[in-house]
Amino acid sequence: MATEEKQGMNRRDFVKGLAAGGAAGFIGAMGIYSYSPWRKRHFPKVVSKNIDIGECKSIKITNISETSWFNNADLMGDIKGAGGLLVNQYEYNWPPFTEKNGKLGKGSYEKGIKEIKQWLPNNLEKAHEFQMENAVHPENAGGYSCLIDVELLDGSRKKILLDSGWSYGWTDKCFKREGIDKMLANKEIDRLIISHEHFDHFWGLPVTMKYDPEIPLYVPDGFYPEGRQYIKDSGHRGKVTYVKPGLHPIFPGFATYVFPIPIICRVYGEQSLYFNIKDKGLVSVTGCCHQSIIQFAETARRNIKYEKNYGVYGGLHISPFEDWDPKYDDLVISLGKYGFEKIGCNHCTGIVTAKKFIEAGYPIVKGTARFRSKDTAYLGNGDTIEFKA
Amino acid sequence: MEDKSTERFGEGYLEERKLVPRWPAPWPQIVNTLFLLVVFYITWWIFQDPRGLMRMYTPYVGYMYTRWILIVLIWQVYLFYYWPFKRSQLDNWHPLVKATVMTFITWVVLMVLIKGVFEGLLGNLSMAYFNPAQLIKLPGVTEFFAIEYAALACLMFAAIASWLSPSWPVAMEMAPWQDLKQPVLGITVLICTMFIATIVYLCTMHSHMGILYYPWQYFSSIAPPYWEKFANTVSGNFHVAWIMCCTIVVWLTESIWERYPFRIIKHDWTRRIVSFFGIIAIAWAFFFGLYFAQELWWGPAIRGTRRLFAPDWRWLHVGEMMVFFLLPALFLTFYCRNWPTKYSMPVNWLIRTLIAIIGGIAVYWIYYNISPLTLGTQKGYSHPQQFPMIPTIWLINLMLINHWFMDNWPGWKKVKESETT
Repeated sequence: MATEEKQGMNRRDFVKGLAAGGAAGFIGAMGIYSYSPWRKRHFPKVVSKNIDIGECKSIKITNISETSWFNNADLMGDIKGAGGLLVNQYEYNWPPFTEKNGKLGKGSYEKGIKEIKQWLPNNLEKAHEFQMENAVHPENAGGYSCLIDVELLDGSRKKILLDSGWSYGWTDKCFKREGIDKMLANKEIDRLIISHEHFDHFWGLPVTMKYDPEIPLYVPDGFYPEGRQYIKDSGHRGKVTYVKPGLHPIFPGFATYVFPIPIICRVYGEQSLYFNIKDKGLVSVTGCCHQSIIQFAETARRNIKYEKNYGVYGGLHISPFEDWDPKYDDLVISLGKYGFEKIGCNHCTGIVTAKKFIEAGYPIVKGTARFRSKDTAYLGNGDTIEFKA
Repeated sequence: MEDKSTERFGEGYLEERKLVPRWPAPWPQIVNTLFLLVVFYITWWIFQDPRGLMRMYTPYVGYMYTRWILIVLIWQVYLFYYWPFKRSQLDNWHPLVKATVMTFITWVVLMVLIKGVFEGLLGNLSMAYFNPAQLIKLPGVTEFFAIEYAALACLMFAAIASWLSPSWPVAMEMAPWQDLKQPVLGITVLICTMFIATIVYLCTMHSHMGILYYPWQYFSSIAPPYWEKFANTVSGNFHVAWIMCCTIVVWLTESIWERYPFRIIKHDWTRRIVSFFGIIAIAWAFFFGLYFAQELWWGPAIRGTRRLFAPDWRWLHVGEMMVFFLLPALFLTFYCRNWPTKYSMPVNWLIRTLIAIIGGIAVYWIYYNISPLTLGTQKGYSHPQQFPMIPTIWLINLMLINHWFMDNWPGWKKVKESETT
């Protein structure tokens, strides 16, 4: 009897052990399979949609301003003081949305716009004056904006303004420096494209409205109610297109792509630009490229019909605050595989990144470091770059 | 006067205490859930919420404190058996008094650790990146990023400690020091686990930090690191992911799995060793499995991209997903007495695991749908500055305080042995 019990126990133990071992083996095998090369059989094959966006002959880009702010320490000090990178940008009491004697992190769109709405868009000097007296670090505000002059295959030209800066004073000054004010007033610029809702790309909107309040406006879907209201409050009277996520061909050789992505300071969605240059290839033009330039190139590969990657212009959002993270090295290491022949980067790319690109041997177009741009390692304010056959 | 040598402090307290629900099920569970959520929301608003008072979700500062609170709680209960509190105090103090006093101790230890050990000692005498005041001396580094980088280094260390600290009592059963008295036992295991954590940190996280300070520290660490080709990234998130999986598997083992199947191994040292490395093996299976799940759901990762397709984010998200599974698992153990218990252990094990998985998926879905409104985060999965581990671990910390320090008050009350019979 005792022997039988003992044998019974052993059998049970054996079965239990077998079950536990089998389960462990199964989980282990699944784990190993999950990261083995065999797993790739389950991935769908990437087939490009080959959407034909047409071709253009060339583009010339004028950097109106890439200096979104002038002092990193002040900007990051404000971000730190307000509570970090997730705080709503409209709460900072930065210009233009400041109340009287604005306190850091205590503002709102409603309180700020109430103070300046009366002066938008035709008396920006007055609004700027109020901001200089009441906002948090008003002298630090700059802005991002560039002009893209496109030559179509038939020789005609179209001009696109990408983004409208931040500080009313700085943006207006830069517009005048590059003759954008006159172009807008003469209706030479076909459309204004806003890359995303961030302060340094969008808050200078009334400056564009001052010269051409009817300009067609393209903004990415994902704008918050404050941003949508600001378009109205800034005096815009033209057509507004809220561009849905995905590819949007605009005219031959030009399309935008909206990425539905979350961005710091409570912003959502980014719109970037593709230009297909005949006999040369695709040029990617970006505001901040929060989705990453590699994602932008991969998206083109999956969607657009084009020959090859040719060029890049704009902010690549790698080390905007001259910060670093190992994942940025992933980008630096990987960018070479995409075969860009001409890279005109600036703004949130970061100087340290531009220098790493140069060290890696990438074809970076250097700048002249004028008009408060800090380094020749990338294209500065007033510099131009051309992409043409 | 009590004989010091017979004082057990909290040894076996969690197993021996008798907790009786105040009302029939499911009322105690509902009451405690509401209680936890209210406390969670108030504390979240005060400390973390980007719209709230202190706004520590910068994100790394709040993240660091959240993780270290978890570890200090584990130290207090699992390593030190509530020392210096006597058993009589544990038995007789009101749950609110215990929670107040013991959480205050948690805070004191936390401050000593962060400000004293990491910032003061290590940050001033060993590696500058533990101390913002040292980092700020580096040209070009702003105060904000000096603080963030230092917090990142501390929290990466915390990730390792949150795996090893509970591993020793759960897997190694405190061996070979299990017969020592407190506080010698706690101190010994603490030193042992922190020693191993330091070595693991240097081998897994130091290169990540080294890359931040190009070019000088780049060369004082192994950079690009050895895992670059295998992980498809130079980011230390690769290690954060498997270490988080280890942490969660330790807690699954201790809670809903009741140390099964490891406990069927009769030989003490074999059981301990198999438990310790078995937990790592299971964790790596989850680690690769959840990465693969993301590849199937979103498509393969692309190196150099940001957000959803970035390998570094995918690895981090593996750890984040695992924490979502832990929430229902702990709830099942703390408030549902590890339901079900009526079947054989393998069947119970399986059902509970399924509940944890389904519950985890539900919490995941809820989190990504309501967190922008309730927690002040941004919509979307892959915001580079958002970490679902912060609110989930914050809630877990409160659950641990409620279960360990408060005897599941208010839904339950602790009674004496005689009252239960």
